[in-house]
Amino acid sequence: MAKIDLSNISHSYNPNDPNPVYALNPFSMTWENGNRYAILGPSGCGKTTMLNIVSGLVRPSAGRILFDDKDVTDLKTEDKNIAQVFQFPVIYNTMTVYENLAFPLKCRDFSKSKTDERVNSVAETLNLKSFLNSPARKLTADQKQLISLGRGLVREDVAAVLMDEPLTVIDPDLKFRLRRNLKEINEQYKTTLVYVTHDQNEAMTFADNIIVMSEGEVVQTGSPKELFERPNTTFVGYFIGSPAMNLFESEVSSNDSVKINNNLIKTRTNLSNIKTKNIKLGIRSEFIKIAQNQNENLINVNVEKVEDLGNYKLITAKMGNFTIKSKVTRETEIPNQNVKLHIPAEKCCVYEDNKLI
Amino acid sequence: MNKLYIFLKYFFIVVWTVFVVAPFLWALTTSFKDFQSVNGGVTYIPWVDFEPNLEGWKVLIKSPAKGGVDIIEPYFNSLFVTCTASLISIILGTLSAYALSRYTFKAGFVKNNDITFFFISQRIMPPIVLSIPFFLFLSSINLLDSLTGLIVVYIVLLMPIAVWIMVDFFNKVPREIDETALIDGCNPYQAFLKVVLPNSIPGLIVAGMFCIIFGWIDFFFAFILTFTEVQLLPVKIVALNSSVTPWWSLSASALVSVAPLIIVAFIVERYLSKGNLSGAIK
Repeated sequence: MAKIDLSNISHSYNPNDPNPVYALNPFSMTWENGNRYAILGPSGCGKTTMLNIVSGLVRPSAGRILFDDKDVTDLKTEDKNIAQVFQFPVIYNTMTVYENLAFPLKCRDFSKSKTDERVNSVAETLNLKSFLNSPARKLTADQKQLISLGRGLVREDVAAVLMDEPLTVIDPDLKFRLRRNLKEINEQYKTTLVYVTHDQNEAMTFADNIIVMSEGEVVQTGSPKELFERPNTTFVGYFIGSPAMNLFESEVSSNDSVKINNNLIKTRTNLSNIKTKNIKLGIRSEFIKIAQNQNENLINVNVEKVEDLGNYKLITAKMGNFTIKSKVTRETEIPNQNVKLHIPAEKCCVYEDNKLI
Repeated sequence: MNKLYIFLKYFFIVVWTVFVVAPFLWALTTSFKDFQSVNGGVTYIPWVDFEPNLEGWKVLIKSPAKGGVDIIEPYFNSLFVTCTASLISIILGTLSAYALSRYTFKAGFVKNNDITFFFISQRIMPPIVLSIPFFLFLSSINLLDSLTGLIVVYIVLLMPIAVWIMVDFFNKVPREIDETALIDGCNPYQAFLKVVLPNSIPGLIVAGMFCIIFGWIDFFFAFILTFTEVQLLPVKIVALNSSVTPWWSLSASALVSVAPLIIVAFIVERYLSKGNLSGAIK
């Protein structure tokens, strides 16, 4: 277990090219000991590269990695004491489940009794106890992934367990249980867990800190609540949440209000220093409600469709050229015409050049 | 429809079995015949159709002085040369193949695929092109007509097969398996020996089988690179032939020479049918 510092890390797979393409743009970050982190972003945004840099499979083109303030950038993978679980189960086919789980300990010369104790404890947590003596290759895909996970968890002293979309091949039911197990393991052993995923629900339910990435750039780091309510960029707003954040092209009208389609919307943002007139107003569909007795921040819309999604209704409405989505409770009565929606000023985010002001 | 399918399936199996087994049956009966029985029309059943005798087999172990050919020494020479050359080829070929599969090599315009193709091109070349260079090479290092010389030549011939099969095999073993082993604490050599190699046993067996077959059946180089000191089985069997073709002893020697390959095939078949060739990863 260790505090992990990534300092000015960047990486290119063709660094000697005259125009190198960066898979990771320079960033710095600290992973505190014992926390749960999720790296979230679309495919190809550099998540796996970041993990491989931390585990040592890839050496960064620039920057340093520190474990507990000790520089480990040039340390070989096998000396780094990191565990990594890949997207698809990787098992040692010729070994039994027990031998698979014991392998990382065997490589590090742990005593037989200690190995037994750790393997049994991990097998218990992952429900693998009855398979310990079976050949690993005879197990199903999700059980094989449990073995991969188990190999990551079997060492108590790892600096961090890195998981690269580890639950892709696992049943939804088991997925839920495993995520809870991982959380318990994290709380019990204080192991730093880093979880790469492109599924925001997975990230939100698992991590206390989420790192959102896009095109090789770390765009925001924060708690699920922060990412949801105050996305740093329009990308985060769009990527996180379902449906995505409502974003409207708008004009600055005064120091704290913007104009969308001739509707004046007050915000809590100070807009006096805005240089351009073209900005975007972002608001989550969860915060837009049908107006009751409010008298400002109202917009008139035409309801296009209402979808009943089980535990809530999703209204899709038009205001001029803009499409607005609003999530309301199932009980909400939705009038057919002259619908007024209320946009709460405290939940508005204003973006200049796609960055939050 | 289902019955017709089963009937056709078994029908083709029976036809195929007859096709495969008949030559062996023919060789087996012929090996117990003499001149009269061979030339006296088609006969199959011993003691009924013809009187069996062991002359054909005896010739194989009798010394040349007593009118035999004595294949025992060439037999063991062949076994020794084939096994040694195959083993060395597999070891060298596997190491080269792993390097070609996992690391990037670049020398000017020559890259990994070109190196792999270079190995395969050794087999594309007609063997006769190599005969004079091999002859001169072995004679220059005094290894003509020796087992060591033959082993060297056979390694050159067999290693490309091993490289070719193993590169393809290693390419199918995901890199994640090596990476996981590194993360689990192995150094690159341990990762190869403890994790990648045991996972590649089916590939090794296939490569080994091909090496053994190609080494065992080679006549051409055994013929031109040996004279009197050392002889290999294929050359000795050809020496059996004379103006009156001795079908009985040729059949016996054919059976004896094919025996090791049949044994290897049985062992390998049992291993491969355990399902070790499929589902190695994922």
